[in-house]
Amino acid sequence: MLMLALGLMLGAAFGALLQLSGASSHTKIVNALRLKDLTIMKLILMAIGVGLMGVHLLDLFGLANMKVKDLYLLGIVIAGVIFGVGFAITGYCPGTALAACAEGKLDAWVTVMGGLGGALVFAFIFPEIEESLLAVGRYGPVTIPSLLGTHGILIAAPLGIVCIWLAMRLPNPGGAR
Amino acid sequence: MKPDTLRRYETPHEDVSPVLSWWAGGIGIGLVLIVAVALVQPIGVSSQYVVLDGVLLHNVLPDVASKSPYLVKATEGWTLATYEFFFVLGIPLGALGAAIATARFTTRVVPVEWSRRFGSNPGRRLVWSFIGGFLLLFGARFGGGCTSGHMISGISQLAIGSFVFSTALFISGIITARILYRDGEMRC
Repeated sequence: MLMLALGLMLGAAFGALLQLSGASSHTKIVNALRLKDLTIMKLILMAIGVGLMGVHLLDLFGLANMKVKDLYLLGIVIAGVIFGVGFAITGYCPGTALAACAEGKLDAWVTVMGGLGGALVFAFIFPEIEESLLAVGRYGPVTIPSLLGTHGILIAAPLGIVCIWLAMRLPNPGGAR
Repeated sequence: MKPDTLRRYETPHEDVSPVLSWWAGGIGIGLVLIVAVALVQPIGVSSQYVVLDGVLLHNVLPDVASKSPYLVKATEGWTLATYEFFFVLGIPLGALGAAIATARFTTRVVPVEWSRRFGSNPGRRLVWSFIGGFLLLFGARFGGGCTSGHMISGISQLAIGSFVFSTALFISGIITARILYRDGEMRC
């Protein structure tokens, strides 16, 4: 019960931030992909920069509950390409579509319905490709520090600073006034 | 009423300029991730589409749902009462609160940038929204995560798969957007 309330609260904070930052706007996302308005790129870089440093600082003290996703090279590249096409068409990602639904945008509701269809179809295709396509270049949950045998913070801290620096340097037409 | 407020109700399109600046929003999202990692696990959204699918299907056709190892594994016990699902449920609730608080609730169907290129026909936009949504979640489940799970959580954990997914996603998204909306700027 406590966990459900915590989930709802963190999710609500995330949803409110997405909405207030303009991430649930088709126009903002599409213009980010057209490289016309980099607000969303700056937002993502800033979030990753803060996340990199915070998560690895927690990890340094053994307080991080990490959950690293598997690497399966061929499948992930194909998946990213398919996702990118959907991203450009709808102008939403699975999370921002839900935020846009709540704002009253009907096209976001239809995007979520399409998404439920796509996820269901993948669930039934998965057994067919698990040991073929998804096995090409499968390395398990590898990270850069695990590969190099160093501590995460040594890579996360400089990379985080680079992300934040880049976020500050990118031009910002169309940002918050 | 101030002219600014009036304009907001008259315009057929949503106000696209964000309330929060990119740095405040970015720090906020980073902090949500840090709190989530400290207390439970990294954030993720797309897996819960599968969970909702699984629970709905299990209600209608329990035999079909139980035959899919992917659905069985994703939805442990065919329940929606989990931390992960409630996190995703929180997203529209928080967005609704934010939209109401800043008077940005809108019932527009066709986004500005879309109508510039493809016209204001709502049917056309909705059909393509469905197709786009299908590809979005098909790709996300194929790759094991979405913008939240792979890009924000994954890169923050320095996961190599997440770097690969994000790179492929952006290259593909940028090329698709170039092709799709190429005439958009001509009528500005």
